[in-house]
Amino acid sequence: MANRRVLVKRRKAARNIRKITRTMQLIATARFQAVHSAAVAGRPYTDKLAELVEKLARAAKGLDHPLMQVPAENRRRVLLVLSSNRGLCGGYNANVLRTALEELEAGKAEGSETEVHMVGKKGIAYFRFLGRTLAQEISGVSDSPRFEEVEPLANEVMARFIAGEIDSVSIAYMKFISAGKQVPVVERVLPLERSVGDAKPEAAVEGDAAAATGQREIEYEFSPEPAEILAELLPATVRVSFFQTFMDAAVSEQIARMVAMKAATDAAGDMIKNLTQQYNRARQTQITMELLDIVGGANALA
Amino acid sequence: MAESTSFPDAKPFRCSVVTPEKVVLEGDARFVALPAHDGEIGLLRSRAPLVCKLAAGKLRVETETGMEVFFIDGGFAEMADNELTVLTEDARRAEEIDRAEVEKLLKEARAMEVHDPASMRERERAIQRARAQLRVSSRQ
Repeated sequence: MANRRVLVKRRKAARNIRKITRTMQLIATARFQAVHSAAVAGRPYTDKLAELVEKLARAAKGLDHPLMQVPAENRRRVLLVLSSNRGLCGGYNANVLRTALEELEAGKAEGSETEVHMVGKKGIAYFRFLGRTLAQEISGVSDSPRFEEVEPLANEVMARFIAGEIDSVSIAYMKFISAGKQVPVVERVLPLERSVGDAKPEAAVEGDAAAATGQREIEYEFSPEPAEILAELLPATVRVSFFQTFMDAAVSEQIARMVAMKAATDAAGDMIKNLTQQYNRARQTQITMELLDIVGGANALA
Repeated sequence: MAESTSFPDAKPFRCSVVTPEKVVLEGDARFVALPAHDGEIGLLRSRAPLVCKLAAGKLRVETETGMEVFFIDGGFAEMADNELTVLTEDARRAEEIDRAEVEKLLKEARAMEVHDPASMRERERAIQRARAQLRVSSRQ
């Protein structure tokens, strides 16, 4: 008897949980679609900017900018870690934070100091738990990051880099590759790669550009001088690459949550099935017992 | 339309305005006025290829249907093969500007502390931005 009632209760609990996780799954799906389309909407800007840098680099005969100066030593590093503000997203935060910690250890082994700037409540809580110090805690970034939220962060590290206070800046985050694949990575953002403008050998660039657009080399009129435009353009590429990583992280987070909640919903379904089976069995056993009692009683009287 | 169209017969060219967040405008334009770093530049079809730095200010795009006015926060413009691309970190339609909000920003910018050339430039820039926004929205 008691056993049966317990089973009913547990099944009810499992049903409630399934309802909740399914709703969260649906919400995550909707958010994912919204963030994903926002991330895609930002692509033309990034592409065009890269194209402009390449053109200007050619016009200015090479690139030179404080953001590209590689310091003699890489002793004072900055690591920006993008974790989420909310949990219930499976291994998302664990993966990002593990990658970040590995990077920190690697930096330590090389004898340099890394200051950690943590985005997201989950990462902040974890580092507090580990007893590690954070140079900056940022928890206000929304689920779908806006450019003006990210811009000040980029500007700050760029100013410090140019002032020579820090030697390099990296970002640890979950890179979005496809809806089925996200990888935790650490990407170096500063110093800017020299290859921004001239990655390919000169001949290949010319060939590619001509083949891709099917047009002749255009003679541009520059206002002001190419070098001066580049001085503005390069910080803009850094800002936008910051923004892109934030977008990637936001998209990956929603996917991770979607997958986690799908798994939870399925697991709850299995459990309900299991419990129903147990309940039916218990009920049948009880009926059989009662029947036996009655039959036994009747036999005794006869 | 608040402003009359000035080039009714001009042939159109492609024009797009993009920010890191979205493509704000994409379509044909007959005439575009850009807030370049050293003054306003007007563009018509067949303009020689140009790459230019922009200042915070008013962007006017004359399309088939009328004049569209934006505030843009600096950036870059590229014109080649009758295709104009305006890259900017913030673009807002004139009617989307909240004047009260901008007035507040202007006040804050004026109150900014100045202690070195960098902070002075920053203050200057913030004031310019706010003023440009007010200018853009007052034309409506």
